Amino acid sequence: MQTKEYIGESWKHGILIVGAILVLLPFYMMVSMSLKSQQEIQSISGGLIGAQEVQTFPVCVKTGYSEETCTTKPYIYNYWFAFEKAPIPRYLMNGVIVTFSIFIIQVLVALPCAYALAKLRFYGREFVFSMVLFCLLIPVHGIALPLYIMLAQAGLVDTYSALILPWTISVFGIFLMRQFFMTVPDELIDAARMDGMGEYSIVWKVMLPTAIPALLAFAIFSVVAHWNDYFWPRMVITGNRDLFTPPLGIREFRGGIDSDEFGPMMASIVTVTVPLIVAFIIAQKRFIEGITLTGMK
Amino acid sequence: MGTISLKNISKSFGSTQVLKNLNVDIKDGEFLTLVGPSGCGKSTLLRIIAGLEQQTSGDVLIDDKVVNKIRASERDLAMVFQSYALYPHLTVRRNLETPLRLRDYNSFERLPLIGNFSPNKKNKTESINQLVNKTSETLKISELLDRKPGQLSGGQRQRVALGRAMVREPVAFLMDEPLSNLDAALRVHMRSELSELHNSLKTTFVYVTHDQAEALTMSSRMAVMIDGNLLQLDTPQEVYDNPASLSVAQFVGSPKINIFNGSSDSSGTVSILNLNLKRKSSETNLELSIGIRPEHLEITNQSDENTFSATVAYRENLGSDIFFHVNTEDGMNRIIVRGIPQFTNEISNGSKVNIKRASDKALLFNKEGKRVQFNNA
Amino acid sequence: MHNSKAHIWFIAPAIILMIIILIFPLFLAGGISFTDYNLGNKSIGWVGLENYDKMFNRKTYVKMIWATATYVIVVVPISVVLGLCAAMLLNSLRFGADIYKTIFFLPVMATLLAMAIAWEFTLHPTLGIVNSFLANGCGGVREFILGLHWLPWVDSQQSWYHVACANNMDFPYWLKQKNTAIWTICFIGIWQAFGFNMVLYLAGLTGIPRELYHAAEMDGAKSTWEQFKLVTWPMLGPTTLFVVTITTIRTFQVFDTIEILTKGGPSKTTYVMMYAIFEKAIQQNLTSIGAAITVVFIAFILILTFFQRYVIERRVHY
Repeated sequence: MQTKEYIGESWKHGILIVGAILVLLPFYMMVSMSLKSQQEIQSISGGLIGAQEVQTFPVCVKTGYSEETCTTKPYIYNYWFAFEKAPIPRYLMNGVIVTFSIFIIQVLVALPCAYALAKLRFYGREFVFSMVLFCLLIPVHGIALPLYIMLAQAGLVDTYSALILPWTISVFGIFLMRQFFMTVPDELIDAARMDGMGEYSIVWKVMLPTAIPALLAFAIFSVVAHWNDYFWPRMVITGNRDLFTPPLGIREFRGGIDSDEFGPMMASIVTVTVPLIVAFIIAQKRFIEGITLTGMK
Repeated sequence: MGTISLKNISKSFGSTQVLKNLNVDIKDGEFLTLVGPSGCGKSTLLRIIAGLEQQTSGDVLIDDKVVNKIRASERDLAMVFQSYALYPHLTVRRNLETPLRLRDYNSFERLPLIGNFSPNKKNKTESINQLVNKTSETLKISELLDRKPGQLSGGQRQRVALGRAMVREPVAFLMDEPLSNLDAALRVHMRSELSELHNSLKTTFVYVTHDQAEALTMSSRMAVMIDGNLLQLDTPQEVYDNPASLSVAQFVGSPKINIFNGSSDSSGTVSILNLNLKRKSSETNLELSIGIRPEHLEITNQSDENTFSATVAYRENLGSDIFFHVNTEDGMNRIIVRGIPQFTNEISNGSKVNIKRASDKALLFNKEGKRVQFNNA
Repeated sequence: MHNSKAHIWFIAPAIILMIIILIFPLFLAGGISFTDYNLGNKSIGWVGLENYDKMFNRKTYVKMIWATATYVIVVVPISVVLGLCAAMLLNSLRFGADIYKTIFFLPVMATLLAMAIAWEFTLHPTLGIVNSFLANGCGGVREFILGLHWLPWVDSQQSWYHVACANNMDFPYWLKQKNTAIWTICFIGIWQAFGFNMVLYLAGLTGIPRELYHAAEMDGAKSTWEQFKLVTWPMLGPTTLFVVTITTIRTFQVFDTIEILTKGGPSKTTYVMMYAIFEKAIQQNLTSIGAAITVVFIAFILILTFFQRYVIERRVHY
C-alpha cells in the first residue's frame, strides 16, 4: 500500500467522521441532558455526564416528596422522577401490544393471500394482483382523514381498535410475500398435496416455515414503522393516557418544556426511545438486511 | 509489435503465495495459452499482465518496456472477460465505440451537447464509425448494433465482447476463459473461429483456460501452470508427447494418462507389472512412475512376454473410439485403453483381455514427479 | 386445477380489508371534499368546488403548497445524493465501514419524534450546543470556515457569522425564525432520511459486477469520474429510481417534526400538507377542507409514483 492511498483513506475518514458527529449530535444532546442537573443544562456545562453532585431538587420537593427523597445525584433523580411523573411502562406496554397485534394480523391476512396469488390458479387472479399493485401506491397516512371519519362514525376513536384497524391490511406485505413465494418450487407444494395435506395446512405448515427469512424482514419493517409512528396515534387518541403509545408519551413529556425541568423530561424520552435502538444495535445486521430486502423487493 | 515478457513474477495475497517466480516470454503474434486447473493462478497472472492487479515482485515488459507503474488503461491491451462485461445500458454500437471514444475524444469533446462544438470531433466521429462498422462486419454482428446486450444470446454477446476488444487494434489481446459460459457445441465452434481470427489479425493473444482441449487445439504455445508454478511452456504437441513432469502429463490429455508403479534395477532396466520394458532408464535403482497414454496400449488376442491380462470393468463408447476401463490381474491398477470400434466390438464388460503396450511411448517419472529420460544408448 | 375453493378464503379477507381501508376512503374523501360536511354535523350541503377554490386562492393554502414543495424539492435530491456519496465512500474504505454504517442508520431507526425534540434542544438559542459552539468560535477558525471567509467574494467584515458575533452573539433562532425555520426542518429531514438511502445504495453497489469496472479500466476510463459515469451510475439506475420514489413519498408525508417543533409557523413557512390536514380537520373540525387537501395530496403522490414507475422505469431496466 502506497502513501498516496493512505492519504486518500484518511481524507475519506475525515469526511465521514464529520458526518458521524453531525448524525450523533442530537443523540449526544439527549443522553447528556438526561444525566445532568438543570443548572448544568442551562449553563451548557459539564460535558456529557455533568459533575453528578448530590443536591436537593426543588421541583421534587414542591411536588410533595420528602426532602430526603429529593436529595440525590442528578442522573438518579432524572430517571426516578421521570418514572414517578408518567406511567412509562404502560406506554411501552401499549407500544408492544399495538405493534405486535398489527404484525400478527398483517401476517394472518397477507400470507394466505400471497400464497393464493403466487401458487393457486383461479379466475380473477390477475385482477386481484393488479388491485394489490394499485393499493401499493396509496399511502395510508394520506387517507388518514377519511379513515378517521369512518372510525369516528363507528365510535371507535380512543380505543385500541382505532390504533390497530387501519394497519391490518398490508398490501406491501402481500406483495413481498407473493414475490417470495414465487421463488418456492411448485414441487414442494405438490409433494405436500401428495402427502395428503389440505390447502390450509400447506399455508401454515409448509409455506410459513419456508417464508421465515422474508417474514423476519417484514417483521422488522412493520414493527419499526409502527413503533415509531406518531401521526396516526395523534389523530385517533385524544386524551386517554391509558392508550398512549411511546411517541404520544414523548409528546406529553415535551409539554413541560418551558416551565419544568429538562432532565427528567429527557430521561423519559430516552427511556422510550432506547428499546428499539438497543434492539437495532444488537441485531443491526438483521435490521439492515431486513430493511434492504423490504426496500429492494 | 506485441511482445510481452514476465520476469520473476511473484504474487501473494496476504500469506498465501499464488504465483511463484514466473518467467514467460510471449512472442509477437503468438497465441499463448495459460492453462491449468482452477486456482493455479493463471487468471491472476493474466490480470497482472493487464495491470488490473499489481504483482508483489518482478517485472512486466510490453514491447521491451517495463510497465509495472503504468496503469491498465494506458497499457494498450484489450481484454475479453469471462462474463463478457458488456455495458448493459448501452447498445452494441455504443459498447464497441466506448474504448475509442474514451481514447480519441478529449474530455471536452465527451461532454454532452457542447462537446459537439469542437472542430475535430466530426472527423474523429467518422473514423470511429468506420472502425466500428469494419469490426462488426468481420465478426458478423452488423445487424445487432442497435440492440442492447440483454437482448443477445450468449454467443452473440461473446462476439460483441470480442469486437470491443478488437476495435481499437491493441498491442495484444488478453482473454480470460472467454468460452466457458457457452454451451458445449458453440464452444467447440468458437475455438475454430478464434483461431481463424488470430490468423487474420496476427496480433498477440494471451488466452487463459482451464480446459486442456482448448489449449491443445488453439495455441501456438501453451504454458501449463499448477499451484502457482509454471511447469512447462512449449508447443501443444511437445507438451503432450514430452511432458516435463508427472502433473503435466496427468493434466494434459483426455482420457487421462495411465500411471503404473515400477522400478529400474541396477542396470537401469525398467519393469512394470512384472514385465520387462526392454528399455533402460538413464537413472538406476529407482522407484518410478511410468505413464502410458491410452492410445499407446492395445488390446490383442495374443498372449506373450509383451502383454499382460486384465478384466474389462467399463466400456465407454464414444463412437469414433472405444475406451476400455480395465482392472489388472493384481488388482493394483485401473487403466484406460483405447480400442478401435471395428476390432473390439465383441468385447463387453467382464471380458478378459490381453493388453500390449508400445514400449517406446512410455514416459518415466521419479518419485518427485520429475521426468526421467530413457537411455538412448 | 384443484377442486378446492380454498383460494376464496385465502383472498377474501385481504380483498375486503383493501376495499374498506384503502379504496373506500379515497371515494369518501373525494365525496366530502365537495360538501360542507363537518364531523358531528347532522346536515350535509353540496358546495361544489368551493373547497378547492379556497385551496388554490387563499393565502394559507398557497403557503401550504409552497412549504410542501420546498420541503420535498430540497430533501429528496440532497438526501439521495448524500446517501449515494456515503455509500460510495463506505464501499471504498479499507476498514471501519461497518461503524459508519451503523451510525448513519441510527436516525432511521430512532423514533423521529424523540429526535425532533433532541434537535430542538441542540439548536436551542440559549441551551443548545450549536449556538454555543458558534458563539465560542467568534474571531477564530470556525468563523473563518463557517462564515465562508475563504471564498474570494465574501467580505469577512460582512459575513453572516461576523455580523452575528458583532451584534452580541445574535445567531439564528433556527426553528423560530421565518427565514431559517423551513431550512432547519429540511435539515432534520435530510438527517433522518439519508441513512436509509445509503443502505439501499450499498446493496445496489454490491450488485455491480467487478468485471465491469475492469472492462471500463481496459477501455480507457481512467478517472473515478469516468468510471462512475460509464459503470456505477447507469448500473445503479433501478436503485436510484426506487430510492427517489420512496423518499419522495416519505417526504411528502412529513408531520412529526412540524407538529412538535413549529406547528406550521412561523407565519406558515412550514405549513406542510399533512400538518394542514391534521390542523384543519382534527383540531378545527373543518372536515371538508381537510378532505379537499387529502384529495390533492393523494393526487400528487399517485401522479408522481405513476410517472416514476411507468415512464422512467423503462429507461433504467436493461
